[in-house]
Amino acid sequence: MSTDPHALFQLTGPLAILGWLSLVLAPFAPRLTDAIASLVIPALLSVGYTALILVHWAGAPGGFDSLANVMALFTHPGVALAGWVHYLAFDLFVGAWITRTARAERIPHLLILPCLVLTFLFGPAGFLAFTALRASLAARARMTGATA
Amino acid sequence: MTFALATPRSTLPDLRRMASDAPAFTALAILLALGLIPLAAAMALDTRIFQGDSPWMKPVKFHFALGLYTISLAFFARFMPEATRLSRSWRWFTAAVVVAICGEVVWLSSAAMINTASHFNTTIPVFTAIYGLMGVFAVLLTSASLVMGVSVWRNRATGLDPALHLAVALGLVMTFVLTIPVAGYLSSNGGHFVGTSTRALRVMGWSRDAGDLRVAHFLATHALHFVPVAGLLAVWLVPAWAVRVVWVAAASFAALVIFTFAQALQGQPFLPFIG
Repeated sequence: MSTDPHALFQLTGPLAILGWLSLVLAPFAPRLTDAIASLVIPALLSVGYTALILVHWAGAPGGFDSLANVMALFTHPGVALAGWVHYLAFDLFVGAWITRTARAERIPHLLILPCLVLTFLFGPAGFLAFTALRASLAARARMTGATA
Repeated sequence: MTFALATPRSTLPDLRRMASDAPAFTALAILLALGLIPLAAAMALDTRIFQGDSPWMKPVKFHFALGLYTISLAFFARFMPEATRLSRSWRWFTAAVVVAICGEVVWLSSAAMINTASHFNTTIPVFTAIYGLMGVFAVLLTSASLVMGVSVWRNRATGLDPALHLAVALGLVMTFVLTIPVAGYLSSNGGHFVGTSTRALRVMGWSRDAGDLRVAHFLATHALHFVPVAGLLAVWLVPAWAVRVVWVAAASFAALVIFTFAQALQGQPFLPFIG
């Protein structure tokens, strides 16, 4: 296997996409999906991340103490790839959590699809959308419960 | 016979009923309100200017307006026959309205992101196509007031005083009947001003020195608030004449909408001495 970050990058996309596709199709096989998207693929990506950090961290410029240093850190291809894999792993994990939580709270899968798309593209924005959706439905449920 | 809301001292209607009478509209209204939080944050961060204002001003206004619209529909839903509210066709219709409203606000925020116009934007074919689709969505979401108005109108068992019953049904129907021609003309006008505007009213943004078609649009859309409130005051203050007062109030309101529309068409500002 190539050790070039640019070549490794090509492997990460399809892996993440596979996880997200499984989430979209979650209602057909909830348990299998959960295993793939909240364990297998995030764990694989995490192994990659950890390895990248072990290999490249010591040689990377910059640091965490200023935006300029964080930007310098990401000029290093190995560390930048690690950062990218970090996004992919945790965004997918959050996507799996959204799917799982929606199922447990009987939120229709159709309603969370936009949240999953947002999480896939813009992580925290999708988390926020799902949180708002959940809050709206919970507020409505409280109103209904109070009338009944 | 006693009616709901027949006197100022009548028990307040149970607002929580909105959640069971119109579950989709209620949840959507809460969601639109929650959406104001990230929009306000974006407005605070964004230093760009679009047509003299923050690009986020328009999505914020629409979240307010559509949130108020859907929560109002959720409130009036209690006056529809229960069988209608539970019917499959009504549920599919509300689902379509919810999709239309979501489509509108998603496009408004997308346009703000790229700092471009959400309305009247025909600069590239994609925007022209989106503008057309948004027009379809706008008609669909406005038609909810017509469908509800007709349903309330035909309902013999609203528990409302006849005048208030008339006011609610009429207000809902008028929102559609008045908004569609005004907003239809507005959308084909290429812009909301008639003439050149140099000064705007705060918050509303209405021109102080040119015709502004949004005035009539705003009033038309709020018929579903104005006429029922007039009905409420009529049954409280002049119960014997209430039905007639409702008809007169509704006719006057329609006349006001037509007047502001004609005024804007002639390039005249609405109440230019304010602001």
